[in-house]
Amino acid sequence: MEGDSGHISSGKPPSCVTEDGIQVSLTHELLDASQILSSVKSPSAGAIVLFAGTTRDTFQSKPVKQLQYTAYVPRALATLLDIARVVKQKHSLVAISMTHRLGVVPIGEESILIAVSAPHRQAAWRAGEEALELCKENAEIWKLEEFHGEEGVWRANRDGQQGAKVEKLS
Amino acid sequence: MTSQTKPSGQFKILYFASATSFTNKSEEYLDAPLNSRELFDVLDQMYPGMKASVLDSSAVTRNLEYLDLEDDDPTIFQAGDEVAIIPPVSSG
Repeated sequence: MEGDSGHISSGKPPSCVTEDGIQVSLTHELLDASQILSSVKSPSAGAIVLFAGTTRDTFQSKPVKQLQYTAYVPRALATLLDIARVVKQKHSLVAISMTHRLGVVPIGEESILIAVSAPHRQAAWRAGEEALELCKENAEIWKLEEFHGEEGVWRANRDGQQGAKVEKLS
Repeated sequence: MTSQTKPSGQFKILYFASATSFTNKSEEYLDAPLNSRELFDVLDQMYPGMKASVLDSSAVTRNLEYLDLEDDDPTIFQAGDEVAIIPPVSSG
């Protein structure tokens, strides 16, 4: 990781980094599946795979009221860029775009979109899966699950377990 | 030791997720210089119990680069640095 997104100051609102065939972004807005699809389209790509992660209404069968995401924006953008570069090269992708939503994400809306394009479908399927797994493992983004009538819980992807209870939701 | 407003001679520390909840802050300033090996103890003194419940499972960055806190060659946090506590992540 070269930290080459260091030009994006942490005080700036969530933003976007692009380079050849790569687009990564963080946003408080609704995610736009058609925009991310267009961003990877190319005449040389016979396959596009789009992954949309949406917020689920239960965690271990407990009803979830809403989810809230927070990020270390410049660090997370650098990680997403690094993942995109690695996956694009490994699977000889034409293009890859990754975007994650921040702030409150109501149940049923998308929290993450990943689109990849490749000459053939096998590479696209594998690359999409790998990009998602690397993102969940490494991107400096955190999910707060808020339950009805209970304190919020910071989730940790690493062990798939429920995280620590939150005493105050400030 | 801490100040919300005076960054001179201090480094900034950012808290995320469970670290924010534990300290009830998203950032503050600590006196520089500070040896990276002492960071968790300093924070645990300020916020008793933070080491066991938050820091032991967290990573640390300095100016966006991850540190190895067990490294034989510790980092010295300098005035103006941006240090961050990175708890286990949960995107997706």
